[in-house]
Amino acid sequence: MIRRLMLREEVRAVALFRDDGALVEGYGLDSAERLATLARFAYDTKRIVQGNLDQLSMFTGQRGWTPPTGWLVRGGGHTVCSVGNLVCVADTTVGNLNELMAELQEVARY
Amino acid sequence: MADLEELMALDGALAAFRYSSTGEVLEQSVREGADFDARVLDLVAHMCVANLAIATLQARGWEAMTGMTGFHPVQQFGLLGLDWTVVVDGERGVILPTGQADLDGACARLGSGA
Amino acid sequence: MSILSELAATPGVVAAGQYTWRGDRYTFEGRLDPEHARMASIMCRATTMATHMQARMLASLPGGEGLDPPRGWFVCGATHSVCVLANVFCFIDNARTSPATVLAAMTERLGEVRPEAMI
Repeated sequence: MIRRLMLREEVRAVALFRDDGALVEGYGLDSAERLATLARFAYDTKRIVQGNLDQLSMFTGQRGWTPPTGWLVRGGGHTVCSVGNLVCVADTTVGNLNELMAELQEVARY
Repeated sequence: MADLEELMALDGALAAFRYSSTGEVLEQSVREGADFDARVLDLVAHMCVANLAIATLQARGWEAMTGMTGFHPVQQFGLLGLDWTVVVDGERGVILPTGQADLDGACARLGSGA
Repeated sequence: MSILSELAATPGVVAAGQYTWRGDRYTFEGRLDPEHARMASIMCRATTMATHMQARMLASLPGGEGLDPPRGWFVCGATHSVCVLANVFCFIDNARTSPATVLAAMTERLGEVRPEAMI
């Protein structure tokens, strides 16, 4: 299912990880080790974002932040975005981020 | 760099803010009726500074480990909450409704280089 | 006597608490409002997660191996400090004790706990 994301012109790599951060399935990087590292980074970021949002909700008393849907980090060359346990590396200069995030949300539901 | 008004012109924008490198809010603009007071924006900005710092650490680590470049410097960080999404660069941020957040528009209007 | 009770009874320790890694439960002993203890567990858990990620990244570079897995962290304020080891935290009164003293006491009691087994 996640392989379909690779059909998007901006997508360079995609990985699905378990709740403990271990790689389940991935495409687009030149070794399983790198895909596992990508999965681990995404897992760490997911947990840190969750932790920071928990604190924000706690301090502000505002609903609407948690649970998080996903996150994205945009560099000049690459953008990394994630929804659920799915992470994607995309070319920043190509494609449409809104469409990519929407498709990530759809694929992450399966 | 975008003015706050430019960020607030994004579809559905709830609030926009300019902040210091330590997370102090220097300027803010909030849509009338939106529930984002100065105290909340202060905390959002501080959280964004933390997220950007961690993302930058990861970008540098990833590039050092893999040789795959283009992540650093981080230009924007986006956090999609349940109802609200916040996108920031190193100086400004905008809060949008998650379901209809124009992420491309937000990234385009924010600066390049966090 | 539980580890938390022992730590909470240590001179200068205001309260000691413990949280699950999933973030869904916490317990504590000492002079802390239950709501504040809940907040403390959320904050400590978030920082601990960040330190684990940072340590793992540093460990992947030459010279950084000794940091991973991290055992704990501490932060000092003007009158109070927070010490964390594994998933246990202590709030301490700086006037009555020091992070080093409390971390030593925590290490003594939690010494058999392997941090990597608690992630």
